[in-house]
Amino acid sequence: MSAAPALLLDGVVKNFGLVHVLRDVNITVAAGERHAIIGPNGAGKSTLFHMITGRFPVSGGRISLHGRDITDMSSYDIYRLGVARSFQVTSLFNRLSVFENLRVGAMRNKGAGHAWWRLLDGYGPLRERAEEMLEMLGLTARRNVPAGLLAYADQRALEIGLAIVGGATTILLDEPTAGMSRHETERAVALIRRVSEGRTLVIVEHDMGVVFDLADRISVLDNGRVIASGTPADVRGDPAVRSAYLGAAAEVLT
Amino acid sequence: MRTISHTLPWVIAVVLVLVAPHVFGSGFSISLLCRMAIAAVFALSFNMLMGQGGMMDFGHAVYLGLGGFLAMHVMRAADAGWWIPTPALPIVGAFGGVVAAGLGGLVVSRSTRTAFAMITMGLAEAIVALVLMLPRLFGGEEGINADRSGGPPIFGFDFGSPLEAYYVIAFWALAAAGLMFLFTRTPLGRLSNAVRDNAERVGFLGYNPGRVRYFVYMFSGLFAGLAGGLQAINDEIITSANIGSNAAGAVLLMTFIGGVGTFAGPVVGAVVVTLMQMALGTVTEAWQLYNGLIFIVMVLWAPGGISGIILAHAPLVRSGQARRLVPSYLTVLPGFVAALLGTIGLSENAYRLQSIRGGSPPGGSIFGIPSDPQTMTPWLVSLALTAVGLWLVARTAPRARAAWLEIAGGTQA
Ligand SMILES: Nc1ncnc2c1ncn2[C@@H]1O[C@H](COP(=O)(O)OP(=O)(O)OP(=O)(O)O)[C@@H](O)[C@H]1O
Ligand SMILES: [Mg+2]
Repeated sequence: MSAAPALLLDGVVKNFGLVHVLRDVNITVAAGERHAIIGPNGAGKSTLFHMITGRFPVSGGRISLHGRDITDMSSYDIYRLGVARSFQVTSLFNRLSVFENLRVGAMRNKGAGHAWWRLLDGYGPLRERAEEMLEMLGLTARRNVPAGLLAYADQRALEIGLAIVGGATTILLDEPTAGMSRHETERAVALIRRVSEGRTLVIVEHDMGVVFDLADRISVLDNGRVIASGTPADVRGDPAVRSAYLGAAAEVLT
Repeated sequence: MRTISHTLPWVIAVVLVLVAPHVFGSGFSISLLCRMAIAAVFALSFNMLMGQGGMMDFGHAVYLGLGGFLAMHVMRAADAGWWIPTPALPIVGAFGGVVAAGLGGLVVSRSTRTAFAMITMGLAEAIVALVLMLPRLFGGEEGINADRSGGPPIFGFDFGSPLEAYYVIAFWALAAAGLMFLFTRTPLGRLSNAVRDNAERVGFLGYNPGRVRYFVYMFSGLFAGLAGGLQAINDEIITSANIGSNAAGAVLLMTFIGGVGTFAGPVVGAVVVTLMQMALGTVTEAWQLYNGLIFIVMVLWAPGGISGIILAHAPLVRSGQARRLVPSYLTVLPGFVAALLGTIGLSENAYRLQSIRGGSPPGGSIFGIPSDPQTMTPWLVSLALTAVGLWLVARTAPRARAAWLEIAGGTQA
């Protein structure tokens, strides 16, 4: 009975004033699953991530993590329970170097806390983790460049890096490959596959190639509701999905 | 290599501090050096918030002032016979600063940016008002004073002489600067940079940005309070003027002129502005106006401050390419000098006119040139110089900038 889902969204509602963005969202993500959330622009995918990670309060419904209610928690408390995320709009520490960005990202996990009595360089495992991440992201050569001066694709890579460097057990990635070239996307997908091994991954993605390649299960969000949820094969064959969303991209499905 | 480049500036600083009072030995110079050291600590503490934490504190003098008042009271107690050596007073100031900032931080640290700045200003106003309302504690308009030589002597020194006080102040200033430098390399110091760059993202990495701000605010208050303790030793008096918005504005000015983007920038600013106040203060009453004008020019055209200018040119000087910049920089010079002279003419005449109306004898001169502000000529000449100068600068500056961009871009690639 210990198998509570990693993430459970139960009737989640979000209104911005009179705008109903999420009407009644129910999603279950099992531990260790790679779960993709797809849907047309403006469907509410990013808003859903904001709800899960405590960026905005929900207007209704409950969210739980491994059976624990996290609905009204702050973003940092949710992070401390093992949920990390990336942003669709790149959100880095622009004046800090790539290395320092990653080091800040791993600080909590490596026990640095708010320490003011020890030098950062004294935390060996923290430095090693940041270096390892640089390597994995292919950013070693850009180590000392301020994040704000990176090329766009490198910023996107670092954005993914910030979400995974802390070793969270549940990782939420919001359109990680947006704006990447074919080659960069392949690299990123390989990286995501590798780091999500043995973890729970929730990914919002427009690139259907990536989605069907990576996901164990897919939920389709449209107009603030989940209109289909299941394995890639289930979703591929779902007529509601085809009419609502996949019309334009239907060729990918066949 | 890296260690050398980090320790060398500190070695130089220590040597300078030890040697300075023997090179510039007059009482005036020593008091000037003390002011610089105190201003440097204060500006560094301000920049912990401003440059490193992205927090604009318009009321930072509160922590210097309250630390100073506490140190002053303890100095009085020492005068009355308690065993409290004068060199320990900065610790008392630091304690006052950190306690005050611990309380003030509760009010301000939830907010960011403009709201933060506004709240610090309001808080400071309230505290100044409170200080004036409690004359028993803070001495009203006159402030409170004591005698720094009244404490117990240490190894025969009573710290009454300017040189002895200088060494106490210099020791603490170096120690405080060193600690603040180390702070920038701790987890909390790095977190404050992260909160400056992107407070929201910090929240999604497991940290409460308000909490980070709060802790940094306390540290900043601690060092401002320490500067207050130094000021108590140096001036032997602290008044409500040390707490108010003038003092808070002065530290902002220094920090910006020196540069917020580097650790040493505020020190440079403190030294330059203190020198300027002394130098200009003896020849003109309008120094505050010049201070303000320099500030505006800096913010508009050199937002990195003096240290930013140095950083931008250091690699060019090292690679020997700076020489190529000289011709294009020289073309800006005539316009700059003309505008400067014109501005000086305008402001000196304005000040002159004001004091003539206040009863001073008419007439006057600027740089030995007769200049009667009650006639048209000095005004027209100054105005023309300013206008022509600014026009020339506007014409020549873009090319100088382009030259810099070209050469600097060349070295980076
Ligand atoms: N802060 C806000 N205030 C008001 N409306 C908002 C706010 N944030 C999002 N919305 C609206 O909510 C809807 C869903 O936005 P959301 O960003 O979640 O969509 P999305 O599915 O992520 O779309 P995309 O694929 O373009 O990223 C949009 O219509 C958007 O305009
Ligand atoms: Mg989105």
